[in-house]
Amino acid sequence: MKMVKAEGLTYEYVRVLETDHGTREEKVAALKQVDIEIEKGDFVAVLGHNGSGKSTFAKHINALLQPTGGTLWVKGMDTKDDELTWDIRQTAGMIFQNPDNQLVATVVEEDIAFGPENMGIEPQEIRKRVDEALETVHMSEYASYTPSKLSGGQKQRIAIAGVLAMRPDCIILDEPTAMLDPVGRREVMETIERLNHEEGITMILITHYMDEAVRADKVYVIDDGEMVMQGTPKEIFSQVEELQKYGLDVPQVTEVSYLLRKEGIDLPADILTVEEMVGAICQFKSTT
Amino acid sequence: MIRDITIGQYYPVSSPIHRMDARVKIIITFLYIISLFIVDNIMGYVVVTAILGAVIYVSKVPAKFMLRGLKSILIIILFTAVINLFLTQGGEVLWQWKFLKITTAGIYMAARMCIRLVLLIVGSSLLTLTTTPIQLTDGIEYLLRPFKKIGVPAHEIAMMMTIALRFIPTLLDETDKIMKAQQARGADFDTGNLLQRAKSLIPILVPLFISAFRRADELAMAMEARCYHGDENRTRMNVMKMHSGDYKAVVLTAVYFCLTIGLRFLGNTVHFWI
Repeated sequence: MKMVKAEGLTYEYVRVLETDHGTREEKVAALKQVDIEIEKGDFVAVLGHNGSGKSTFAKHINALLQPTGGTLWVKGMDTKDDELTWDIRQTAGMIFQNPDNQLVATVVEEDIAFGPENMGIEPQEIRKRVDEALETVHMSEYASYTPSKLSGGQKQRIAIAGVLAMRPDCIILDEPTAMLDPVGRREVMETIERLNHEEGITMILITHYMDEAVRADKVYVIDDGEMVMQGTPKEIFSQVEELQKYGLDVPQVTEVSYLLRKEGIDLPADILTVEEMVGAICQFKSTT
Repeated sequence: MIRDITIGQYYPVSSPIHRMDARVKIIITFLYIISLFIVDNIMGYVVVTAILGAVIYVSKVPAKFMLRGLKSILIIILFTAVINLFLTQGGEVLWQWKFLKITTAGIYMAARMCIRLVLLIVGSSLLTLTTTPIQLTDGIEYLLRPFKKIGVPAHEIAMMMTIALRFIPTLLDETDKIMKAQQARGADFDTGNLLQRAKSLIPILVPLFISAFRRADELAMAMEARCYHGDENRTRMNVMKMHSGDYKAVVLTAVYFCLTIGLRFLGNTVHFWI
């Protein structure tokens, strides 16, 4: 069974426009006929510029929004079925952009317990899960801290622990690093990758940072509500011109190699990291 | 500077009072406040003060923390004293100027009200000094539970308190940031009369409110994403449990309560308070 599967996923909403002749209602499609299949254990990145519909897509997986057309299944559960809402949210946890606005309690461990408490789990079991979740994100020593005393990266890791305590199969991260400093970003990205590799949790990372998307197994590009590109990071980022058409950049080294190639220097098109670049240039030098 | 404001006033030491169940502490504080209005003679107040002093000693909270709470209500105490002093009728007239007069009954009443207020504040601040905000909220939620039948939203009240406590530091930070941003563009918060100063706060309050609403919206979504659906089928990680110390405290409180009632009748028959 696919972790997440969408068929013709469409989401339309009515926007009220103020014009000179009073208000006018306009139907806006945030998602248009999106088809996607995400395998269990995958690390998927969804790219798109602001207003492309990538956040709307993320909220559908968590059943925070329901499709107006088409269907989305999470582990075989239809998100339109209201009776399955809690099961879906338990299966696919969600991390939001602002680390401050998703922590509920005044103490770290109480906050992590919030999800399991809502699920009606026995107190001893909650205790166990909270300790394990803290251990997993390497935050055990902060159990009794108050969230306002933590850094942005730490808060985001606590938020991840809060989702982990619900034992999800999949975690959706909606631009989790957008408000963090470089140190916090590294902390969060390391945690995400580790959880994907070690715990086998499916990760769906919504982002507009290319260097984060590079680390995924598969990359999807959303533009204006449509799924316009999909493939491995190498496949996606070698198409520099196409990406730029959708208002996206490529990783810095990829752009350098693209520009060098345009000048007639024969470098591979799928360079994504500095190491690959160094290797390619050395090889190029030795052949000429 | 705005960060120095502390939330709640929990004094973190380990004492038998700190370890007590929050529910028991709330009930005892409640009974204590009632007892202050039962006692009405000097000997009664001496006894109550002595007992309160002993409890403070056991709690290991320095006395100056208790008195700090008094500072903020000094004006209220003085105001109460003055009102009672001049407006109580009866007894011997000691001093008179036009319609203002001081009588022995007035002095007695003023003194009694002051002592009551001081004991009230010190006693109830002992509750907040020895109980963490979370324990306090949990205790209130538990104690309000029986009133759910008549429509008291016990769980919702507790959740609101928790979220408020969680967001006070966040919003203080934000206020600080907004103030600095305004000051950087020439705003002046420190000069002018009261009205001007109040007016200069508007450019701070408007963005603060907008941001608070946005935060509320996002938090609500994050809570829903974590399966929050009210207190239906909800469990808690920390279960409140009564220990032997709590039972002892309950017994002692019962004894204390009988004592205050006894002192009231004793005072009424013997009249040795004058």
